[in-house]
Parts: sequence; structure tokens; C-alpha cells
Amino acid sequence: MLMKDKNKEIGIRWSFPFLSTILLLLVMVLPYKIAYFDNLMPFLTLIAVYYWSVFKPGLLPISAVFALGLLQDILSGGPLGMMALLLVVVRVIVLNQGRNFLERDFLFNWLVFVLMAFIFGLFSWAVASYYLREAQNFWNILGQSILTIAVFPVVVWLLGLVRAGLKSENR
Amino acid sequence: MKGFGQGVSSIFFILLALALLIFGRSNNLAVEKSRSAVFNVFVPVLDVLSRPFEAADDLMNWVEEVAVVFSENKRLREENIRLRQLQVTASQLAIDNQRLKKLLNIKEGSITNVATSRVVSDSGSPFVKSVLINSGADDGVRKGQAVVNEEGIIGRTINVGSGSARILLATDINSRIPVKLAASGINMIMEGDNSPDPKLSFLPLGKEIAVGDVVLTSGFGKIFPPDLPVGQVIEITEDQTIRVRLAANMRRLNYVTILNYDIGQNLNKLTLPEEKGQ
Repeated sequence: MLMKDKNKEIGIRWSFPFLSTILLLLVMVLPYKIAYFDNLMPFLTLIAVYYWSVFKPGLLPISAVFALGLLQDILSGGPLGMMALLLVVVRVIVLNQGRNFLERDFLFNWLVFVLMAFIFGLFSWAVASYYLREAQNFWNILGQSILTIAVFPVVVWLLGLVRAGLKSENR
Repeated sequence: MKGFGQGVSSIFFILLALALLIFGRSNNLAVEKSRSAVFNVFVPVLDVLSRPFEAADDLMNWVEEVAVVFSENKRLREENIRLRQLQVTASQLAIDNQRLKKLLNIKEGSITNVATSRVVSDSGSPFVKSVLINSGADDGVRKGQAVVNEEGIIGRTINVGSGSARILLATDINSRIPVKLAASGINMIMEGDNSPDPKLSFLPLGKEIAVGDVVLTSGFGKIFPPDLPVGQVIEITEDQTIRVRLAANMRRLNYVTILNYDIGQNLNKLTLPEEKGQ
């Protein structure tokens, strides 16, 4: 509720980070996947949460990240709370280190993200394996992490456009 | 002070997520209902969003089909001749079958076509194999109904909202479907393990199974009507892992049909002793 009131005050554009993340989340669960990748989908929401936590953490508060994670769990039919947990942890980590990322160039951010994507994959594998009481196929999740790293520049470019929109309206 | 507040809220949300993971695990009704309430809101959005993708997919299909239209035509003509011969035999067998069933007093379950709906969302995760469709309780869809397409079985409904429903695919790790081998009638269970090809388990001792065997639903379990096409055995490893290639193409699910299966009472009585014998 608090978040909503705040948004009203400062206009609709402040919901762009939240809305752009929702849009990426919906793209993730669309039934048409990338050809030849056998139902592997990059973690688009991870990229969005990472991006906004680095550049505009105030516009994607932890409650919003939690809600987005929960929504992803519900729409994908996965373990309830899994993505919520992992995305909240990502935000906490980025926020603790975030100031170090801001001044760096894109390549540095990408390299940090490579590490982040692998750790994210590993943890989601661990949580899912525990939840389903059976060790899951590790190669799938590795593929998903690599795919995420590969689409990172494109998604960041798109989110950059959203951020540019934020700035220009801000003036 | 701000840092402290942030720390507290981080810990709060992490604990909340953990609690959900632990307590949301049991399939309690409240959790299921809130889940379906949420996806019910998003299914219309996904329905609209996925339309352009469907159009693009259709176009790709069309191009592929045009490319092979001549050879496909030739093949289909030949198949047509063969099928016409089979049709005569099949109608004779159907008459025979009906007569014999009457003699045995078998009452077949009634199968009703509840709805045909569009797949609007796919879990897109290696850990869950499920899809959302755009029909729900308002269209007569209930939890625990069979879902098929023209090729074979797909899965079953597990969570139903008013205008949408979640389908657990046959490939999901939680999927168990009673099946039989078409040739020998041996009953087995098909277990998903999140891989594209589910496993067959509970092969009775001393029974034979071979690659290429056709798998059908057995009709036990009261969800799937008997004799629906499931797939074909494609692999038998040394440690007796039997894998089935599903007849339905799970990578490209556009439209599916939900079936309601009301089991006849006599069928129950007839099949029970057979089950015990194995």
C-alpha cells in the first residue's frame, strides 16, 4: 500500500521498472520458446532485478522484488517461494555491493553478472532438488544460466531504453 | 538507521520466502486457491501476448509445409490406399467387439469432451513441466481431468480457476499415468522425471518388453479413459530403465482437449481381480 501511494505522488513512470520486470516475466512463461533450445528459457527476471537493483534500487523495492518472484512461482507452477527467495537474495547482494558496480563499465557488469547467473542457477537447482526430493538434471540449469548470460546485453539494452525514458520525463 | 531498516526488511522477506517454500509445499486448498486466483488474472493477458507468437509460429509451419508439399502429397496418397483397406477390417472388428462386450456385460465409462482450449503459458523451467490453458471451471473443467490432443495424451488438470486451468504434463516429475502395452496388455505406470521422455516402471517379473512397443492408457486411475495413444518405447537400458517417446509433441502445444471420464461400475468389478493377479 505504501508503495502505491508513493507511486501516485511521483507519477506513473516510477512504476516502469516494476512493469518492465513483469513484462519480462510474462515473456518467460509464453508457450513459444527459442527454437532448438528445448524449452530452456533464460532467467529474464534475474536480469531485470539485477539491472534495477544496480541502477534504480529505490524504484524496485524489496517488497516488489518479492512480489515479482512470487508471481513467477505462481505462473510457472514451480515451488512456491523459490524465485521469491532467490530474487530477494540477488537484490540484497547487489545492494550491498551495488555502489561498486555503478561507476564501472558495461563489460565489468556483464562479468559480475556471469558469476551471478551461475550462482543463481546453482541455487535454483539446489532448492528445486530439495523441494522435489530428487536431484534434478544439472545440465539443463547450466544451459539456462548460459542462455541468460547470452541474452544479457540485449535485455540490458532494452531496459536502458526504459531507463532513458525515466530520465527524459524526469527533467 | 536506514541501513538497519533495510537489513530488517531483507531478513523479513527472506524468511517469508523460506516459510512459503516449507509450508506451501503441502497441497493445501488455500494455497491452491490463491494460486489459481492469481493465474486467472494473468491468463487473459498471456492469451493476448502469445497471439503474435502463435501467428509467427503458424507462418513458420506454413513455410515448412509448403517446402515438402509434393513429397508429402505422394506419401499421403499411398497411405490413403492402405488406410482404406484397414478401414474395412476395422469396421468388421468394431462390430465383433461390440457383440463380445455385450456378451461379457462390460459397461464402458462415458467420455465427454469438456472443452478445447488454447495453451497460453508454459512453465519454461527445467523443474516443472506444466502449462496454463484459457478455459476453467466456468467451461466445465474440473481438477483431475484428462488432457489430450489429436496425437495422444498430454497430462491432467491439477489446479482450476474460473477461466483458466493448470495442466500437469505427462513429463513432469509428479506425473504418474497408468498405462499398458498395446500388444501384450501388461499394465505399467508411466512416471515423468522432467526429461522429455518419461519412464515406464513396474514391469512384472518374467514379462518381456521391447523397443518399439506401443503404449496406451490402461484406464486405471479413473482419469484417463482406456486405449488412448500414449507413445512408443524408445529405449531400454541395462538397469531396466524403460523410456517412452510420447506420441504428442510436447514442444509445440497449441490447442488441447479436456476429457471427462465417467467410469462404468461394472468395469471396476471386472478389472480388480486382474490387477491383483499382477
